[in-house]
Formats: sequence, structure tokens, C-alpha cells
Amino acid sequence: MFLAIRELLFAKTKYILISLITTLTVSLIFIVSGLAEGLSADNASSIQGLAADYLVLEAEAEGELGNSFIPMQQAKEIMNDQEQEANTLSVQMMNATIGGGDKQISLALFATERGGMLMPEVMEGRFPKQENEVLADDSLKQEGIQIGDELQLGEKTSYVVSGFTTDQRYSHTPVVFIESEDLKQVNAVAVKGVAVTDGDYSAVPKIDALGGIPSYSQEQASLNMMIIFLYVITAFVLAAFFYVMTLQKRDQFGVLKALGANNKYLISGLITQIILLSVVSVGIATAISFGVGALFPADMPFILNMATIVQPAIIIIVVSVLGAVVSLYQVVKIDPLEAIEGVAA
Amino acid sequence: MTLVLEHVHKVYQDGPKEYVALNDASLQVKAGEFVAIVGPSGSGKSTLLSIAGALLSPTSGKVLLDGENIATLSKKEVTKRRLEKIGFVFQAAHLLPYLKVKDQLNVISVLAHKPKQKKADILAHFGLEHRINNYPNELSGGERQRVAIARALVNDPKLILADEPTASLDSSRGQEVVKLLAKEVNEGNKAGVMVTHDERVLGFADRIITIRDGKVEFVND
Repeated sequence: MFLAIRELLFAKTKYILISLITTLTVSLIFIVSGLAEGLSADNASSIQGLAADYLVLEAEAEGELGNSFIPMQQAKEIMNDQEQEANTLSVQMMNATIGGGDKQISLALFATERGGMLMPEVMEGRFPKQENEVLADDSLKQEGIQIGDELQLGEKTSYVVSGFTTDQRYSHTPVVFIESEDLKQVNAVAVKGVAVTDGDYSAVPKIDALGGIPSYSQEQASLNMMIIFLYVITAFVLAAFFYVMTLQKRDQFGVLKALGANNKYLISGLITQIILLSVVSVGIATAISFGVGALFPADMPFILNMATIVQPAIIIIVVSVLGAVVSLYQVVKIDPLEAIEGVAA
Repeated sequence: MTLVLEHVHKVYQDGPKEYVALNDASLQVKAGEFVAIVGPSGSGKSTLLSIAGALLSPTSGKVLLDGENIATLSKKEVTKRRLEKIGFVFQAAHLLPYLKVKDQLNVISVLAHKPKQKKADILAHFGLEHRINNYPNELSGGERQRVAIARALVNDPKLILADEPTASLDSSRGQEVVKLLAKEVNEGNKAGVMVTHDERVLGFADRIITIRDGKVEFVND
């Protein structure tokens, strides 16, 4: 610590420049993570937040909610087989207009039994009472929808928004919940606890069902690939910097060893410097990312909170230290004899 | 006797050839004695100093430091002996560029896990009290070498080794530095060994040893 800190302070410019680079890459990691989290929620928050643990789907649907069709008769049998609470879930993507106006709004209609566990909590307005009343995600407000407005679906059907709920999006569209008793077929049976199934039907954990939402996996995979590349870049930038620094300081390390510094002391100094740099970079990058996040428009799918940041922050610090391993090897290799010039060795 | 070298051989393997750097070198230095080692380039004097300083282990022979044979110790133990018992003064001072003068001395205490004492006294002793908060690049060559000597003495070592301490200094500065070194060795009752090319500073040594082709040839009392 004694040497590590003094050196950082003495060679300020060098270390500030390298921190600047890592701060930028770390900021990018955080912002892309926020975007991944935001897109994930925008695509699947209704499934992530579903009050169930498993979805029983048609076996042939291979985990894709939209491809699974279960006749109501079978769905009832499946529900009876379960040990814990179960409800049917029907998902329909539709276009609606406000009270028959011109503007088309995409939405996902989630239908389930009256009084079932799948209806989300009301944040504003009231719970649907009539058969034609629905509970809508509050992102519909941005489309100008208010409580009491009528959503016209096709020519015959229309629903009245009785209240708003929140964080209910599916496939980048707002979800509208309806309680309905006269469905002929459903997409899934949502089950609490462990699901009991037989051959024609398979139970999928809720989290795995996200992969069945159109484009969910592709979106997440491309963003995650960017994040992984940024981890690697950050690690390499720090590794290269400290490697060159170590080579430059060969004679200093030689003198220190001759004076009686052991490898452990020199290595812990190097690791202290790397951890300090990456922690400072992570700290500044956190502030930058929250700042940038605040500037984004409200309807941009971007979610950044401490929980989103903790995991990448730890990974960055760990990969930075791993990147230092090449330099550590150099430090160990340096012979204290180098302090005495002119020795043939 | 603080330092005793007995029948020390050092052989370097250079491919199929062997190169004998030290051939049956024996040497004794007692406390309070300042010995100069001279000899042409490549004669083995730096090797001798490196072996005495536990930076290099001999191919055969004994190196007794304060009664203990350091030739057979592990690397880790040897590093510890250097820290505790040996003070080094190198050719070009070799101060750490990022440390203030006082910290050049403090680093030795830190390495030895000893409390940092006030270094003002020892620096005043070397006429460096006004330089306590300066970095090496703000010092003159002579001042730097004096800091290096102060650093070598911080841990109160039994043995002080100097590798051409005047190489980077002009004649009068060089004389001044070696005089100081000799004084510290004599008055501090330490054993001192200095390798040098510089004939003008030999007058400060209690004894002069000449090395030629790896052999201790001439001991001048």
C-alpha cells in the first residue's frame, strides 16, 4: 500500500488517463446493461411478474407460449391435477382503436379466470367488475388512454378500461388483462409451486418461457455479447497498461527486491493499484450511467438500478485483476541482481 | 568477523562452455572495517559483491554473514536477511522516483514491518534536512547518493555494500560520498565493502583487495 498509493499520486497523469478509458468502457457496460434490462422488461415484464412459477404448455409448442394451444376441457383437467393454485392464461396480440378512432394501438390481451391469481394489482382506478371491463398497463397512458376509455377491437368487440396496473408488457406492447369465463381454448395453464404434467403437455419454468417470446432471446443475446466484449476490452486495456508499466519499472522492482522487498509485497502493491483504479472507474461510471439514464426519454426501455450494476461491477473488478496476471509473472521473474549492473548473469 | 567468504567459486554455464567468474575467493571483513575491491572490468568484483550481498548464490563455498551461512538459505530467507542485515548503495543511487526523500527511508521500515520513526535526525546527519519533502529529480547527484547511503543505514545493518558509488558523480562529489560512507562504517562499527574503479577514493578504505580473473590476488593492509 505504502508504495502503491505514493506511485499513483506521483504519476497522476498516467493513471488518470487510464482510469478515463476504463471509466468510459465501464459506463458503456452499465448503459448497455440498463438497455438489456429495459428491453427485457419491455418484452416480458408481464411474464416475469406473473404470479405463478410454471407454465404448462402444449408439448409440441416447444416452450413457445404463442404456439401452445390447449382446449378448455384439457386445461380444466390440468388445473384439477395440480397440487397448488392454477389458472389458465390466454394471450392474444391485437390492434385496437380508442373508441373507434383512427389511431391503431398494438396491445396484448391476457385473459384468465374470474377471481384467479393471475390478475395483477390495481395501481389506479378500480378492478374490472363488468364482463367488458379491462385492467390496462399504465404505458397505455402514453397513447392517450384514460380510465373509462373504450378500446375497440375489430368491429364487434369493445372493452372499457376500468383501471391501470403497472410493469405489464409483452412483446414490446402493453398488456390488457380481462377476466373471462367463456374461452374455448387457452395458451397455457399457469401453476404455483411444482407443476404436474403428462405426455401431451410440458411444464416450463416461468423464466424459461421468456425465451419463447418472439425476439426475446435474440435481443438479449446481442446485447449480452456487447457486454461480454466490453468486459474483455476493459480487462485487456488494464492488462496491457500494467504490463507496460511493469516492464518500464523493471529496475525499480530489482532495487526493491535487492533492498529486501519480497514478491508478496510487490504483487499486493500491483493488485492494490489495479483494484483502486477499477473501483474508482466503476464509481465514476455509475454516476455517468445514472446521469445518462436520466436524460433518456421516459418511454425508452432503459432500467438501471443498483441491482443491475452490482453484478457487472464485480465482474469488471475480477477481470481487471485477472488481466494483471501477466504483469505479476513479470514481477516475480525480475532478479534483484538487476540492481547491480555489470554482473554477467 | 561480520562477513567471511570461504573458498567461493562461481561458475556460469554459457551453453556448452563454462565461465568461471570467481575462483576460490576468500575474504574476511570485520566490524568497523571498510574494504575496497578493485580490479579490471570482468574480473569478478561485481559477482563477489553480489554473492556477499546475498543477491547471487555461489556455486560452491561458504558465505558467513554474522556467523550464518547464507549460501544455503532459501530465496525467501535470503530476501529477509538482505532486509535485516545488509545495506546497499548502488551505482546510480537507484532511488524510487515517486518517493519523497523521507519516504525513501520509510520504505525500508515499511518492508521490515517496523514503525516509521522520525527520519529527520538521520537526514540531518547527512545534511539533507532541507530536502526531506523533495523528490529525487529535484536533488543533485551528490544529494541523491547521500539519500541512498542514508537508506542503506536506516535498518542499522551489520554489512554495507556499495557498488561503484561514485560512478555517477564528479570527482569532488565522489570523494565526499565515499568519505561519508567510510565514516559511517568506521563509527557505526559496521562491515563495509565497496567495489570501485575510482582510484581517487581508495585512500578512504582501510584495506584494498585486488581481483583478477576471478581470483583474489592482492590484499593490501
